[in-house]
Amino acid sequence: MTLLKSWDRVLADVQSRTEYQNYVTAWESKIRSMLTFDLNRDRFGAQDGPLANIPFAVKDNIAVRDFNLTCGSRILENLVSPYTATAVERLQAAGARVVGKTNLDEFGMGSSTDNSALAQTNNPWNVNAVPGGSSGGSAAAVAAGLVPFALGSDTGGSVRQPAAFCGCFGLKPTYGTVSRFGLVAYASSLEVIGVLSRGVDTLETVYDIIAGRDDRDQSSVARPQNSPARGTARVGILRQIAELSPAIDAAYRETIEKVKSLGVEIVEIDIPALEYVVPAYYTIATAEASANLARYTGIRYGHRTSDDSSMEQMVAASRNEGFGDEVKLRILLGTYVLRSGFQDQYYIRAQKIRTAIRNGFDAAFGQVDLMLTPVFPTQAFLRGEGELTPFQQKLADKFTAAANLAGIPALTVPIGVTDGLPTAMQLLAPDFAEHRMFDFARRMGVDMAAMTPDGFDEGWRK
Amino acid sequence: MNVNELKTTAQLAMLDIPDPEKLAQAFSEMLDNFSKMMAVDVEGLEPTTHALAQGNRLREDVPRGTDESEAVLDRAPEREDRFFKIPNVL
Amino acid sequence: MYQSFIGLEIHIHLLTRTKAFCGCTAEFGAPPNTHVCPVCLGYPGVLPAVNEEAMKMSYMVAKALNCELSPKCYFDRKNYFYPDMTKNYQISQFHDPVGRNGYFDVEVDGEIKRVRIHDVHLEEDAGKMIHSGRTSLLDYNRAGTSLLEIVTEPDLVTGKDAEAFIREFRRMVRHLGVCDGNMEEGSLRCDANVSINLKGQGLGTKTEVKNLNSARFVRKALEYEIKRQGRVLGKGEKVIQETRLWDSDNNVTASMRTKEKAHDYRYFPEPDMPPFCPDDAFMSEVVSRVVELPLVKKQRYLNGLQLSVDAAEFLVEDRLFCDLFEETCALGGDAKQISNWLCGDVQGQLKRAEVALTDSHITAARLNELVKLVDSGVLQRGKAKEVLELVIAEDKDPSAVVREKGFEQVQDDSQLDGWVSEAIDKNPQAVEQILAGNTKTISFLVGQVMRFSKGKADPKKVTDKLSQALGL
Ligand SMILES: [Mg+2]
Ligand SMILES: [Zn+2]
Repeated sequence: MTLLKSWDRVLADVQSRTEYQNYVTAWESKIRSMLTFDLNRDRFGAQDGPLANIPFAVKDNIAVRDFNLTCGSRILENLVSPYTATAVERLQAAGARVVGKTNLDEFGMGSSTDNSALAQTNNPWNVNAVPGGSSGGSAAAVAAGLVPFALGSDTGGSVRQPAAFCGCFGLKPTYGTVSRFGLVAYASSLEVIGVLSRGVDTLETVYDIIAGRDDRDQSSVARPQNSPARGTARVGILRQIAELSPAIDAAYRETIEKVKSLGVEIVEIDIPALEYVVPAYYTIATAEASANLARYTGIRYGHRTSDDSSMEQMVAASRNEGFGDEVKLRILLGTYVLRSGFQDQYYIRAQKIRTAIRNGFDAAFGQVDLMLTPVFPTQAFLRGEGELTPFQQKLADKFTAAANLAGIPALTVPIGVTDGLPTAMQLLAPDFAEHRMFDFARRMGVDMAAMTPDGFDEGWRK
Repeated sequence: MNVNELKTTAQLAMLDIPDPEKLAQAFSEMLDNFSKMMAVDVEGLEPTTHALAQGNRLREDVPRGTDESEAVLDRAPEREDRFFKIPNVL
Repeated sequence: MYQSFIGLEIHIHLLTRTKAFCGCTAEFGAPPNTHVCPVCLGYPGVLPAVNEEAMKMSYMVAKALNCELSPKCYFDRKNYFYPDMTKNYQISQFHDPVGRNGYFDVEVDGEIKRVRIHDVHLEEDAGKMIHSGRTSLLDYNRAGTSLLEIVTEPDLVTGKDAEAFIREFRRMVRHLGVCDGNMEEGSLRCDANVSINLKGQGLGTKTEVKNLNSARFVRKALEYEIKRQGRVLGKGEKVIQETRLWDSDNNVTASMRTKEKAHDYRYFPEPDMPPFCPDDAFMSEVVSRVVELPLVKKQRYLNGLQLSVDAAEFLVEDRLFCDLFEETCALGGDAKQISNWLCGDVQGQLKRAEVALTDSHITAARLNELVKLVDSGVLQRGKAKEVLELVIAEDKDPSAVVREKGFEQVQDDSQLDGWVSEAIDKNPQAVEQILAGNTKTISFLVGQVMRFSKGKADPKKVTDKLSQALGL
């Protein structure tokens, strides 16, 4: 809470608003993390409450009334949302105010935010590096200190991976604990709204506010009365971890030693099904996406082509002009794996593998309190030569996507800075054990003061 | 991956792909990756259709009472009076 | 010779207040796009939330159709593009519907035919389109309203069977109160699959017949289609599997001739709504709301209560008449007599006044009172109509109307005896004729007494008294 307190004045008086505006503008010219920044548009924040006057940013695939809801896509470039997501409403009711909508890979499909059709967001640590994705705008904005926290969405790692790339904490809550109402669907059974912040306390405060069953989301779940124990005595690591970049490999080993030094036992865990995380994840995600993105036709809202020679032509051309290549590829894959004759071999098989992965985690959490893995095999990658290909980026989702397939919560914890870019690790916990991860992250004692990109200046908000 | 399959799939997805050959490679690359799943023994595993579902969620049959119709009609790319307008379907 | 197989796909609009998955009003007849919201328009980010009442009504119908009720049902997405469907997938049920493997009994020519039900599933309706010139106009008021689909096995043989099925089914859903059954307005829609084949060869190639907006059209279209397929096969040709529309102006079915398009619904479980497992409280409410079905009721009226076929048919057509009938009987009246009143005067008066039974102020107590007033001779049978009219128009008890209007018949013997003596005294000629054997003339004397009493004497009682006085 102390961290939040220091933001009190930001929106309260003219002087601090001007300073704030200038600070954001200066950063935005370098990183372009936000598609909209507006101090006055949110008229819905409560006057008091635990987050009174605290500004926050929202990934632009989460609905906020009167703000754009572009999803980083041409097809929704001009859509102004007529309604607000439940998670945002809860924050507004606690006094917080939306000041910006952040950039993302189109419809959340990507790991770099370079798949946004509307803007290129840069990593605040190095503008030649990607911020990660798909919540890259939220991660960049938080890392640069533009907002104390931002909402993102995590379908296969979209909160955790950019948090790792930008050096902030990133929470993917237990599936269903945060209402998805207002989160534009990419892969409904996998995704959840998550939080990015530079502080664990802030993350915890925000999570406690946005979590809870929602009548508008019947897949949302109530957290159990007796929440899981908060302590951690044993941490599991995966027996086989390969293909890490040297910096991540070093950070991983260093973290294991750190955990041991806290008097916590390290236990090696085997979950053979994890080998199939990537194909299972992409099969399910693209299948659901193919249905979820069928609604964009230029009939009721969104981009409409000028070609109105026939209804079919109008719809196909609107979609063709409105969607980027990665989105088209995923829609096609998803349509294909659901076709009759192919369902058993792809979609149904993937759902069964998902069960095996879940069973694997259930067994693991019988032995350990938390699991520790890398978030991504590399640090933020630079654009241009040596950049990961889109296919390599997908293969690298294996550590993060496992949590989405299993539904369990996961947290990105920043570890350090190597070669001018952050490194980070991931904690995984059983269902509803978010607070166990928060406590353990605090115990790990990450020094966030040492993790600021150049130009990060807290002076303006005092 | 044959291009005709891709075209049929594109038709089902209402996508007008100008250059299917261009997409075919990325498509095949992913599909090959998906095929790795064939190596898994899934005998006896139930598919997970709903993660962590707490069932029996029902909404009370009570009208919500607010009128959002103007807001949504306003957002129509083309409208005529109170209708959404499109090229003739017949 | 040929054998025919008919299966029906029936869609009914459930009488819920709100749509299936959002809080928009499900009422019809509002200006276009009035009952719409981000959810039923398929806005980015919205989620469906299933309506409790729609779920209850679905289980009620499945129960009434003797289905195996799903202990765990969920929704699926049925994927296809059409402008009247806002998400371009329909939320429906495919893998685990509300009910399966049921049956429904239908009476055809006095015989009961059992038709197997394949499944009962809940889904959402699409919007409406108006086509004009180069454009089509879309109205989504109906989009997302609850639609229950009932699929039968191909157990019906003739058009007549199918017509009987539809009529009985319609009566059933009306009795359950889950659908108004209006086929012209589309709240009950029926598509039919029909094939013919040589006896013993099983199902043939089927066609699907659509645009059947009355039970009569169902029969006529199927009779036509069976004959048409017979002619095709007779010529040694093959029936083409296709959709045909019933053209009620020309009494023919015609091919829709849609262009061949790839078509694959790609059903998969709807991830936005968890499975529904009915609990005891839900099931007991469902069971209690599944009332005695019309066909069973009709048989009870005929065999148990000895009502005439006409009366039983009339009552069973409308749940409200059945309820009124049974409540009135429970007050101790004679079932036959009450049923006669209901299909006679009550029905007639309501029709004349153009009033629905629910708005008519006729209650079981009032009907019972009216019958008793006539029975006991207080009210003349002929005046009862007028009383009924006033009960309907002025919301009054029959006894109050009788009192106000002075319709009570004089029951007092001494007063009646006085008028009888007076009539005899004043009409010696008539008396003479009667005594000479012309007994019909007695009605003249009755008329005289009625005049003296200003119409308030009970003619039956007067006749008795005259006969007695004249020693007949
Ligand atoms: Mg249907
Ligand atoms: Zn609605």
